[in-house]
Amino acid sequence: MTALNRFISFCRNVFNRKQGDADLSEELREYERLLTDENIRAGMSETDARRSALISIGGVELVKENVRAVRSGAWIEGLMQDLRYGFRSLIRVPVFTTTAVIALALGIGASTAIFSVVNGVLLKPLPYREPERIVTLLHEGSHPVAPANFLDWRASSKSFVDMAAAELWSPNISGAGNAERVLGLHVTPNMIPMLGVAPILGHMFGPETGQVGRDREVVIGFDIWQRRFGGDSTIIGRTVLLNGNGFKIVGVMPRTFAFAPFWAVGAQLWAPIAFGDRALSRNGNSLRIFARLAPHATLEQAQLEINAVTSRLEILYPRTNRNVIVTPLMEQATRGMQRPLIVLLVAVCFLLVAACANVAHMMLARSSSRQREMAVRTALGASRGKLTRQLLCESLILSTTGGLLGLVIAIVGTRTLVALGSAAIPRVQDVHFDLRVLAVTSFISIATGVLFGLAPARNAIRTDLVSSLKDGGRSENGGSANMGFRHVLVASQFAIALTLLIGAGLMMRTLAAMHNINPGFSPRGVLSAIVSATGTAADTAGRREQFFTQTVNRIASLPGVRSVSAINHLPIAGDVWGQSVSIEGQAELAADKRNRATYRVVLPAYFKTMGIPLLKGRDITNADRVGSHLVVIVNARFAEHFWPNESAVGKRFMLGDIRTTVPEWMTVVGVSKNTVISGWTDAPDDEIYVPYLQSKDYLGTGGSHFAFLTFVIKTDGDATLIAPSLRATVTEINPSAPVSDVQSLDSVVEGATADRKFYLVLLSAFAIAALVLAGVGIYGVMSHAVARRMHEMGVRIALGASSSNVLRLVVGRGMLVVVSGAALGVAGALALTKLMDTLLYGVKATDPVTFGSVTAFLLVVALVACWIPARRATRIDPLTALRGD
Amino acid sequence: MTQAQTNLLQGTLDLLILKTLTLDKMHGLGISRRIEQITHGAFQVKPGSLFPALYRMEEAGWIESTWGASEKGRRAKYYELTKAGRKQLGVEADQWSRITLAMQLALLAT
Repeated sequence: MTALNRFISFCRNVFNRKQGDADLSEELREYERLLTDENIRAGMSETDARRSALISIGGVELVKENVRAVRSGAWIEGLMQDLRYGFRSLIRVPVFTTTAVIALALGIGASTAIFSVVNGVLLKPLPYREPERIVTLLHEGSHPVAPANFLDWRASSKSFVDMAAAELWSPNISGAGNAERVLGLHVTPNMIPMLGVAPILGHMFGPETGQVGRDREVVIGFDIWQRRFGGDSTIIGRTVLLNGNGFKIVGVMPRTFAFAPFWAVGAQLWAPIAFGDRALSRNGNSLRIFARLAPHATLEQAQLEINAVTSRLEILYPRTNRNVIVTPLMEQATRGMQRPLIVLLVAVCFLLVAACANVAHMMLARSSSRQREMAVRTALGASRGKLTRQLLCESLILSTTGGLLGLVIAIVGTRTLVALGSAAIPRVQDVHFDLRVLAVTSFISIATGVLFGLAPARNAIRTDLVSSLKDGGRSENGGSANMGFRHVLVASQFAIALTLLIGAGLMMRTLAAMHNINPGFSPRGVLSAIVSATGTAADTAGRREQFFTQTVNRIASLPGVRSVSAINHLPIAGDVWGQSVSIEGQAELAADKRNRATYRVVLPAYFKTMGIPLLKGRDITNADRVGSHLVVIVNARFAEHFWPNESAVGKRFMLGDIRTTVPEWMTVVGVSKNTVISGWTDAPDDEIYVPYLQSKDYLGTGGSHFAFLTFVIKTDGDATLIAPSLRATVTEINPSAPVSDVQSLDSVVEGATADRKFYLVLLSAFAIAALVLAGVGIYGVMSHAVARRMHEMGVRIALGASSSNVLRLVVGRGMLVVVSGAALGVAGALALTKLMDTLLYGVKATDPVTFGSVTAFLLVVALVACWIPARRATRIDPLTALRGD
Repeated sequence: MTQAQTNLLQGTLDLLILKTLTLDKMHGLGISRRIEQITHGAFQVKPGSLFPALYRMEEAGWIESTWGASEKGRRAKYYELTKAGRKQLGVEADQWSRITLAMQLALLAT
């Protein structure tokens, strides 16, 4: 028998079934007639002959059935039949079907989305060559470094194959298109080659670009190449105006390249640094150092070596080389992310388990109620294999539907997480939907569905057919074992729900505590925007001052504006520059006393605009300019720090180290209230405010760091409404000066708590889902228990039990399950919240109030879920129950 | 088939059908009657077993069917052996001999 022939008859059987059936019917009819004729010839009457013929055939339908069973392609027929039957029986119980599908979909979808995020952020390697060998060197692991130190470290380290430095540089692009301020980086020419990524167009910087005057080359990123230059392939060699200077584009980086992966995320172009005079500076800490470990060097060796180098330098140049830590780049990029993401991962695993448990016990419940159906079908001749196959089909329909819905949820969920989390999670732009993870979670959920779908078949085999048919399937032999297992499942669901709820509760309290933090300024109605003069006609000594002053005055005259000022960097959203100080009369500071303060440069009326009260003294005015007495305002902590028991007003200090710098004393004229500097929950730090009009750096020095100011504008009402007028005003004064980072202070403050909010939203979503699943679970179990014990309830009521007795009995059973689940949940929560401690603020990980109130809430919900079916038990008509129908 | 023979192996039914069709083509009832005849009444094959076997063997390619006229002039399906069928008959007959021989030896052993 050739395979081809078999295939042909297979197709014929499947697609041309009707014809085959008709043929068989005709053949059997003829068989019957011939047999009848035989019988007539043997002497029977016509009716008897026919009857005898039919009896010997033994049932035409049965014969047809047997033939169908052996035809090739029979299994497809069987499968189609099973699928259709499965569909019908699932549709007959819509509540069960919908709940099971949703539970599966939730479990699969949520887990996959979270796994994708965790994979993209924590597990996926950075887009460089051998990224695990790249490290950062920073003071205390996070503070920038001075050029002279960098050069010394590079010269004397043997654990590193290469060392490179980067600093922020956000040039204004002008020329073709609008003036735009983009985030970029100045990097040493060896940086990108060290990372090991080659440009897709062009090449890297030439070797001489490290020198002043030869550094007008730039490498651009893929996105900006597409967006601003239209993906033009002839872009190499063309000139682009950055800060008014012509830079030659020498290379374009690939789409997957992103540098730096932390601190300057989203940098779009890279230009070489030429240190020039700065090479000798040990004070201007603006560089972040990246290095590649030598092939056989370990992190510990590198750390020891750099410790030795910096100790030597520290002796020569005190206070400049303290506490340098070598950190793997991956750790920097995911700093602060590991714990929270792991928490989320654990939470979503719990949810997956809860969902599987839900599906499992719903199917077990259903299996108990289908006992009668199984008994009838077995009695009618269905084989064990056939029953199993049909149940398997049914489970697979359920699981596949749940799986498909889960796929949709996973895709949508991943996109939502990326969008929501972009403020909170670094590298989130690298997150893509992960098929591998979907495969694993689908397998788990579907396996659960299939496994427990086979329970009825197992029951059917063990059951004594007769008793099943008699009782109407109400008493179950395998029932009590099932019931016990179901109780365990429901208890675990409650445990999971409680754990997640407590986690969410703690996050809520954290968020509340964080909202209660007073930033020290009043954000309502204040708009901020960065105005940059770099590269414009205003970017020369003397013209800058004029430009900014003019801008302030013009904005002040706009309708609705109550007050205008500017600062170099905005609190929270802006950069933080450190400046060392020397206090008059306190020349020798104790070794551990920090002499650095956050360096702010402000225009007059800053404090008024921001709503920061001046605790002592006065604000700076327009009279405080170059040539007049040098003044400064400090914050309360600075005053407290250096002049603990006296008024700071009138005291003097200078910027820089008194031993190496010519003293230029500034007099404190005012003390302001402490404000949040950068991190929302950080303790307050020293801060000084220098008048813009007295800052030589800002007024004159070249360099784009000093050519922009962050304007703050206090308006009546909604701050964002004046954004268009603001842009118009600036453009009027100077058309090539870009306005960027326009945002209301309210949104800046909101951004500070954005990451906690993100975790809260997610944990709450999981907690609610788990609670719903658990509630449905206990309701289902209770309903079923009541239905099962109808007979018993009837007897009790007939014998005189009151409603409350019955209620107590039923609810008591249920609550026992819930309480044991809750106890387990508390234990689980204690473990989970331990993981969460870096996320929490203002509340302990074992906070009894949260634990107590959440547990109480859960018990109430469970009580309601038990009570409803219990009430039905009290309404049982004893006669009906005793009759056992 | 009588009670005692319901457990008859499907293979032996195939062998009987193949043997029956060696000389002539027949329709279903004819095959059944012939088997009854040549086994001297020992095997009475009911349609419930016959037709599945016929369809199976047809799909295997050992017999082929054609529509023809029955004795009464009505339409009936006739089956005949194919070349492959004849070969299969030989194969199965050999197999049967070997089995019966082996069984005999087993039963005679002490």
